[in-house]
Amino acid sequence: MSGKQRARSFSVHLILIAYSLLAVGPILLVVMNSFKMRSAIFGAPLAPPDATTFSLIGYQKVFRTAHILTYYSNSLIVTLVSMALVLLFGAMAAWALTEYRFRGSTALALFLSIGIMVPIRLGSVAILNMMRSAGLNDTLTALILVYVAQGLPMSIFILSEFIQQIPKDLRDAARCDGVPEIRIFFEVVAPLLRPAIATVAVFTIVPIWNDLWFPLILTSSDTTHTVTLGVQQFLGQYITDWNSVLAALSMAILPVVVIYVILSRQLIAGLTSGAVK
Amino acid sequence: MPEPVSNIISQMPRLRLAALLLFFLGPALAVYSLFSIYPLVATMALSTYTSDPSGARHFIGIANFQALLGDALWSKPFWNAFRNNLIFFAVHMCVQNPIGIALAGLLSLPGLRLKGFYRTVMFLPTMLSVVIVGFSWNLILSPLWGVAAGALKTVCLGSLFAPWLGLESSALVTLSLISVWQFVGIPMMLIYAALLNIPDELIDAARVDGLGHFRIFLHIKLPLVLPTISLVSILTFVANFNAFDLIYSVKGALAGPNFATDILGTFFYRTFFGNQLQLGNPTMGAAVATIMFFIILVGLCLYLVLVQRRIRRYAF
Amino acid sequence: MANLRIEHLNKRYGATKVLNDINLNIEDGEFVVLVGPSGCGKSTLLRMIAGLDGASGGDIHIAGKLVNALAPAERGIAMVFQSYALYPHMNVRKNMTFGLKFTGVPPTERERRVAEAARMLRLEELLDRYPRDLSGGQRQRVAIGRAIVREPAVFLFDEPLSNLDAALRVSTRVEIANLHRMLKSTIVYVTHDQVEAMTLADRIVVMNRGCIEQVGRPLDLYYAPANLFVAGFIGSPAMNFFEAKVERVESGCARVAGAGFRSFELSAPSLEVGDLLTVGVRPEHLGRGADGPFAVEGVVELVERLGESSFAYLRRADNRLFVAEVRGRQTPTPGERATLVAGARDVHVFDASGLRVSTQNEA
Ligand SMILES: Nc1ncnc2c1ncn2[C@@H]1O[C@H](COP(=O)(O)OP(=O)(O)OP(=O)(O)O)[C@@H](O)[C@H]1O
Ligand SMILES: [Mg+2]
Repeated sequence: MSGKQRARSFSVHLILIAYSLLAVGPILLVVMNSFKMRSAIFGAPLAPPDATTFSLIGYQKVFRTAHILTYYSNSLIVTLVSMALVLLFGAMAAWALTEYRFRGSTALALFLSIGIMVPIRLGSVAILNMMRSAGLNDTLTALILVYVAQGLPMSIFILSEFIQQIPKDLRDAARCDGVPEIRIFFEVVAPLLRPAIATVAVFTIVPIWNDLWFPLILTSSDTTHTVTLGVQQFLGQYITDWNSVLAALSMAILPVVVIYVILSRQLIAGLTSGAVK
Repeated sequence: MPEPVSNIISQMPRLRLAALLLFFLGPALAVYSLFSIYPLVATMALSTYTSDPSGARHFIGIANFQALLGDALWSKPFWNAFRNNLIFFAVHMCVQNPIGIALAGLLSLPGLRLKGFYRTVMFLPTMLSVVIVGFSWNLILSPLWGVAAGALKTVCLGSLFAPWLGLESSALVTLSLISVWQFVGIPMMLIYAALLNIPDELIDAARVDGLGHFRIFLHIKLPLVLPTISLVSILTFVANFNAFDLIYSVKGALAGPNFATDILGTFFYRTFFGNQLQLGNPTMGAAVATIMFFIILVGLCLYLVLVQRRIRRYAF
Repeated sequence: MANLRIEHLNKRYGATKVLNDINLNIEDGEFVVLVGPSGCGKSTLLRMIAGLDGASGGDIHIAGKLVNALAPAERGIAMVFQSYALYPHMNVRKNMTFGLKFTGVPPTERERRVAEAARMLRLEELLDRYPRDLSGGQRQRVAIGRAIVREPAVFLFDEPLSNLDAALRVSTRVEIANLHRMLKSTIVYVTHDQVEAMTLADRIVVMNRGCIEQVGRPLDLYYAPANLFVAGFIGSPAMNFFEAKVERVESGCARVAGAGFRSFELSAPSLEVGDLLTVGVRPEHLGRGADGPFAVEGVVELVERLGESSFAYLRRADNRLFVAEVRGRQTPTPGERATLVAGARDVHVFDASGLRVSTQNEA
């Protein structure tokens, strides 16, 4: 490597490191300070917790006053069930739309693309009325139904791209083998869609986990709050209690970060797979 | 619409094909139509009604819209929210996308080490909830804590610090920048993916022609990823004109100070649900949602007509 | 085992005709190879036999039964795809048995068939591997094995060897020929490769633009192409063509003349004075010094040396190039002037519409 090249590579890394710091700095700062005593939070905010400043008082308070575990389980249920349904229904519809030629398939694809571009949020007034009259108000079921409807168009779009990448010969071979159409989908096509899960997750599942709007509108009791809404309400109530606020924020951040770091390779591969163009 | 792949279907008995389609498309279409399309349509229908104090609804045509756009009581906050939303969008376009492009360009440099690490770290904020991000920045920028002020002081810019989120003049731009900070990962990743799709031979050919990395980026890579950049722009537009969470969690439904950070999403929420100052008004809320729908629709059409059609896509 | 009869088969995509009135009779146990330029409709024909594409008109009979309305699995065919189309998430054994599950073959019978096919194709060691862990040649054998276990009446191959390297292609070709001898099944085989077609086929079907140009035994096609298209398509390098005209006819004997070659006599009773003809001679039939009615003169411009023989490109009097194969160590040198001669049996004559003119020289 010549001197000039080295200087250039150095400056590239300098920029990237600087931006990386900007990206994780605020998150680190919040998490770090959540483990400190109040005096240390204000006295030396940039210092990591040490033996003298370490404290879990914020976490104790959060566990005592907020139903944080309920929030977690609500969020998990809503996200996982929505994800399963979005993937299943989405893949089935994508298969029918890409594989079968029938009158109206183009119109149907257009109909579905409305949902990609127009946020379902704009229908909130009617959704609330509907859920109320169906007695689903303040239930996780209501959230799941809305999220599945919200996630489906994008997942159909993404999965269609993946299905088209599966060689045509493979389905023809299965047909020559006498495999029934439904089993061609479930036993030949669906197993090959595994790489698509990451892409679908980034575009439809992560927004579900993070959503504030629909829990705010559709759930009213503590027992149906999700993490995002629960933490948001907690923050509003205890805004002056810095230990608790930082602890609550960290508790919302940490699980996501841990899962993200574990799955980041797949997630980023899913994002860069070129399925979304 | 993708090219139909199977001709076998043409031989299949009508009834069997119909049964198959019902099986595969039925669940998705049912949920989607019932909980996405129907509410949108019902909301638009509701926007032509008003309710009297007894709760009964009356059809009033476009009166809600006339009030929203013309009656000072409604139109002042509406136009204020609309203008703020435009600023919110402009900041994203001018800051988020250039930074995203630049980071993607750096990440796609050949032979860069630690690529995976940088990607993971820089995309992290995008994975977090807007609520959490907004609140964290709220603390960091708070003069009470003094972290931001302290950080500026260490680089000798201490005098620049101000409670940006609290000032009417700077709150909106500050919130926009927080949102940019969070979402810059999306343009970065999409453009990065598009850059990866450019064949290495093309870049090698340009190198042989004597172009440096920067010139290659500017003259070869950038034009080739233009379709992705335009896609990112329209995604940003839709997301921005539908944003709510960040403002609501940092500033509450009143989008203070003095409505300086009010955008259409928060205005919709306030109109629909009410707040300390007013009662909720579902029919007027529906009217706001309908207008938002048309704003997004107009944006999409402009994009399709003006941008999408002119952009050339290149096959490699 | 079964015969295959195709009658007036048509295929249209919108307004474009892809197959045009195809008629073909394939005997039980026959190995038929479809050749033709890219896009002529070979794959389409094969897929229609398989039932993967529907017909726009016409009938297909397999083993005497009309199969137009039957699904692929009910037609008693098995297809081997160019891309192999192995299920990537199933191991070799599962790949072979997967289809049998749905056609009601009991498990013990499945095992027996897989074992037998594996033995025949030397796949025993590979049965538990996944397609990604196999070499190209092994994948190809698995694809063939998957077809064999179905015990079909007709095997359909769509360019099965085109993804293999040259050496493997030769050995797999031999294996397929052996397989056909052992199984004695009816095979329809699509290829681009002339050598494959010539060596494997009982009969070759030459297609062009959705029509069948000629059906015949390999050597018949080579020695007596029915028309200009087949003459130019079969053989490599392609046949040399010379434009010609009938100058004189005397008692069934025509004198043919044209630019670039010496006029010669042809005993073809059907010809009349003034008929426009095309005379064709294969490069390998042009020789120095040999005796024959056809002689052409040219200046050597370029020589391609292949070792066993060389191809000389010569420029003839009317300024066009023609090719001659020269055997032996002595290769011509560029700039040399040479006269090349072909025997009467090796001169092909086609009339203005491109059809072969039968001559008594052939007899
Ligand atoms: N779905 C389709 N729609 C329109 N035209 C098609 C379709 N499928 C095939 N064709 C056309 O049919 C013709 C025959 O195609 P086919 O695949 O049978 O050719 P082929 O002889 O197998 O060529 P190759 O040797 O390249 O494989 C081509 O001109 C092709 O463009
Ligand atoms: Mg083909």
